[in-house]
Amino acid sequence: MSRSAIELDFFGMEKELSPPPKLPTFARRRSFRDIQGVISKINPEVLKTVIANGSSGLNKSVTVPCTPKEDHTIFPPLPVHGSNLRQSCEPKRSAETAPMTIFYNGMVAVFDVSPHKAKDILLHAEEEAQKPAESSDSKGTGSSSDQKNILGTLNGDFPIARRKSLQRFLEKRKERSNMWEPYGRTNKR
Amino acid sequence: MNFISTCAISKARSYNNTVWECVIPYIQEPQDRAAISLVCKSWYEIDAITRKHITIALCYTTTADLLLRRFPHLESLKLKGQPRAVMFSLVPNEWGGYVTPWIKEIVESSSRIKALHFRRMIVKDSDLELLATSETGKGLEVLKLDYCRGFSTDGLLHISRFCRSIKTLFMEECTILENDGEWLHELALKNTVLENLNFYLTDLVKISSEDLELIARKCASLVSMKISDCDTSDLCGFFQSATSLEEFGGGSFSALPEQVDEGVLNEQLKRYSIAFPPRLCRLGLTFLGKTEMPIVFSIASRLRKLDLLYAMLDTEGHCLLLQRCPNLEILAARIVIGDRGLEVLAQFCKRMKRLKFERGDENEEAEGVISHKGLIALSRGCIELEHLSLYVSDITNASLKCVGTYLKNLQNFRLVLIEKQQKFADFPLDNGVRSLLMGCHKLRRFALCLRPGGLTDVGLSYIGRYSPKVRWMLLHYVGESDKGILEFSKGCPSLRKLEMSACCFSERALAVAVLRLTSLRYLWVTNYRITASGGNLIHMVRPNWITELIPATQAPVHNVNGEVLAHILAYYSLAGQRTDLPSTMRHLILNI
Repeated sequence: MSRSAIELDFFGMEKELSPPPKLPTFARRRSFRDIQGVISKINPEVLKTVIANGSSGLNKSVTVPCTPKEDHTIFPPLPVHGSNLRQSCEPKRSAETAPMTIFYNGMVAVFDVSPHKAKDILLHAEEEAQKPAESSDSKGTGSSSDQKNILGTLNGDFPIARRKSLQRFLEKRKERSNMWEPYGRTNKR
Repeated sequence: MNFISTCAISKARSYNNTVWECVIPYIQEPQDRAAISLVCKSWYEIDAITRKHITIALCYTTTADLLLRRFPHLESLKLKGQPRAVMFSLVPNEWGGYVTPWIKEIVESSSRIKALHFRRMIVKDSDLELLATSETGKGLEVLKLDYCRGFSTDGLLHISRFCRSIKTLFMEECTILENDGEWLHELALKNTVLENLNFYLTDLVKISSEDLELIARKCASLVSMKISDCDTSDLCGFFQSATSLEEFGGGSFSALPEQVDEGVLNEQLKRYSIAFPPRLCRLGLTFLGKTEMPIVFSIASRLRKLDLLYAMLDTEGHCLLLQRCPNLEILAARIVIGDRGLEVLAQFCKRMKRLKFERGDENEEAEGVISHKGLIALSRGCIELEHLSLYVSDITNASLKCVGTYLKNLQNFRLVLIEKQQKFADFPLDNGVRSLLMGCHKLRRFALCLRPGGLTDVGLSYIGRYSPKVRWMLLHYVGESDKGILEFSKGCPSLRKLEMSACCFSERALAVAVLRLTSLRYLWVTNYRITASGGNLIHMVRPNWITELIPATQAPVHNVNGEVLAHILAYYSLAGQRTDLPSTMRHLILNI
């Protein structure tokens, strides 16, 4: 039952990414997931160049969050498994802001924003994307609640994300209060 | 040694064995049983053949075959599958946790299991059919599908039809594909021994109140009924017939516009005036508002458990109701209850044992939140508390110290700081946390979810040092550097399950910490930045230790450093690597 293989490219990213560094032009994306799908297909090297190019003239810094600097003195000696220790490390990011990369209409922009601001921006984008009526998921755990939790995920706010049952209750409650329009009653069912 | 004395010794040994064979079956506490099985071979064997109940905390830590071969006379099994994060939409459902291999093995071995409890697992109609139509199904008394998904009302119909001995049918928070209400009708027609029926927090709507009433009439032992949304005014017949009922949850009340005249309010109250059964003492009414609240007043003084999580009460509503509940022992509510509500609890509900406060939405938070003041009042007033779980808008060292001073019976403490503001005046909370842990010496479950700067490395080391009995921990935004987690891991001698998020620790520090925590068998880290090369997490690799990496987003996204956001799930397993990973998901399994 012992295996010796330790996959280095565990998410298969190298297989997926195509060598030609041609930057695709984007049509207007409707959902957050689509945007992410596109980002994942871009060669990281290209991304760096594009960000560097897009940086000129925009208000940003290209500090990227990374794992903290290792302090070798505090670690006990470990059995060696042939891994490469990460030698370099950029300065730890500030706890207050993190870079947000936005692809839009062929343009790339990177902004250093606070978690609150990022949430606001994503909420606005989500509202825009959801304007044409979407068919609701019959299971009740619709994309809106998942997307809200994606926002939570980006902040690392796991415990602050709401439990699904509560989320559904809050949505139902909103529907109930929306039943009573200011100008006349709507039919109950 | 001569022949006679060896005979005497072996006779004494076998005499001793008989004694233990008589004594051990009376010991059912799982921790005691685990200890017993480690003493010697004969005790291991006695434990194996007399063990009645077992809980498997993660279904991939062993196989059904291994389990049933070791414990052939098991009567009750609880299995947990998906990580807790799935309840917060952070883990996709395709991750796994299928009951199929377990049910297959149970059925094939003609197991005499009477109680099955599956939590956060995927259950299919075919699984339910196989179980229901088997020998085991005939004798099945308890079936709990707890936060499960993957089945429909057709699967439930098999259970209703064939499992005539079912006393407990529990499906709380399940995602069920609803085709019809036949399963309930069949249950109403066939079953006479039902004691607990629970489909609370499901979306089942094709529920007939006549079927519920029929169940109440036929099942004299019906003690607990928790249902989905169904207008409470349709349940009068049910409540009249359910004379043994002690617990009810669910129902619904019609929505009223904001501005109505008194006539309409009186009509509403009249419509929902229900005669509750005489022994009812555990209650949760969905969408209960201030208008309808008086219907509960007549039984408020005998209530021992109240669920207000899905009620529509504001701060004042909570206060008005709770001051009438002197015998309340268990309460769940949203944080709109506010500090004022907590003061009411401290004053009137002296018998309180379990409190859970969950978060509502932002509008409610403008109305009422819980702060350190509420926590202080609560600690001083409800000294019998054993479980306390709350979301607070701010926190101080003094309030944590208060918890440690007064709540000596606390076994379970969970505090989440919500992000209403950026700066907290009394950070860091090192001293408060230390006082709390030193004071609450019975603590077994501990969760601390703060904001950046909430706990220094020293504070994190206090958690390690002063939590001797804690078996489960959830930590969010604690510590500042690798030093913190390394010091922490020198302690926590009983820690079996650790969950972390907003982790500032390097992969190597995490791996070393895992190696140091002597009792650790399960680790979960949310939203960790994994290095593409597999990173230093391999330092935690050892025999029977499995590490899974679950992408945090549907399409994994590299940052410019080549790091990806992923969740880490690592655990001990006797079963080796999983064979049921979905093809759509990319996991890295680090194993030797």
